[in-house]
Amino acid sequence: MLELSLHILDLVQNSLRAQASAVEIQIQEDLKKDLLTIGVSDNGQGMSPEIVKRVIDPFYTTRTTREVGLGVPLLKEAAERCGGHLEVHSEKGKGTQILASFQLSHLDRAPLGDMGETLAILIAGNPGVDFLYDHRVNGQAYRLDTREMREILGTGGLEDPSIFAFIRQDVQQGLKKIGAATFPQIMDFLQGPETR
Amino acid sequence: MKLHELAERLGWELKTKNVPVTGEVKSGYASDLLSDVLANSIEGDLWVTRQTHLNIVAIAVMRDLSGILLVSGAEPDPDTVEKAIEKMIPIFRTTLPTFEVVGRIYQLGISGKR
Repeated sequence: MLELSLHILDLVQNSLRAQASAVEIQIQEDLKKDLLTIGVSDNGQGMSPEIVKRVIDPFYTTRTTREVGLGVPLLKEAAERCGGHLEVHSEKGKGTQILASFQLSHLDRAPLGDMGETLAILIAGNPGVDFLYDHRVNGQAYRLDTREMREILGTGGLEDPSIFAFIRQDVQQGLKKIGAATFPQIMDFLQGPETR
Repeated sequence: MKLHELAERLGWELKTKNVPVTGEVKSGYASDLLSDVLANSIEGDLWVTRQTHLNIVAIAVMRDLSGILLVSGAEPDPDTVEKAIEKMIPIFRTTLPTFEVVGRIYQLGISGKR
């Protein structure tokens, strides 16, 4: 996948298929450790230890519409290619947590992508699900919590058509404010006068 | 073959206005993995890729590539175009997928021999 936001969308869709009513997406950028971590946790059906072992197998899926599910194996491959790794923690009846780490500055680390659009799609498309998005860059945080939004907007507030544009814009501006790294920063090389 | 001749014959759209496209293209490289392009492209290659973000310009400058061709209708990010113009790296766009466009380039005599 060309962007990390597409991996996140895929993981959250897995959570929703597992009948989760609450999903947390946590992203941390540690510039000193040169580390990017992405975590998606849910309170869905969870998986048995045997299925957890098989979930990174590209020929395993809980879906019946196609034989193979590639989302988690692709994320694992992307993380390992960039000096990171992937962990799956799950308990039947309690939920699942997937953690992926990347070397933040790795040349092949995919850009973050449009998290505003991703969250807008997820929240507007699933107004009954609780979403928490927490993105931290060296201690500075941007946070979006649909439970808080519901308290402010009232019942049905997340079903208003205008919510899509609001979420997209708020996330985009929030991430810009905390200096979220949209892609690996190798552009120092390109600073300064013409090179050609 | 000159870069502009290739572009005209194959119907590519130039995304970087005022960047010269008169350079000679003798070879090409197709990859979406930036580390692979950094390691294996050679000076003057035309780079065929689906990646659109700013770092493609950095790679093209570092390897002194003749240009970048974005495939499958991919649009370069606005800051990618801005930096490419500043660094005089021509970026083209085609709606064709990689396999198809590389075949057509090869038919015009541009190979990927290392």
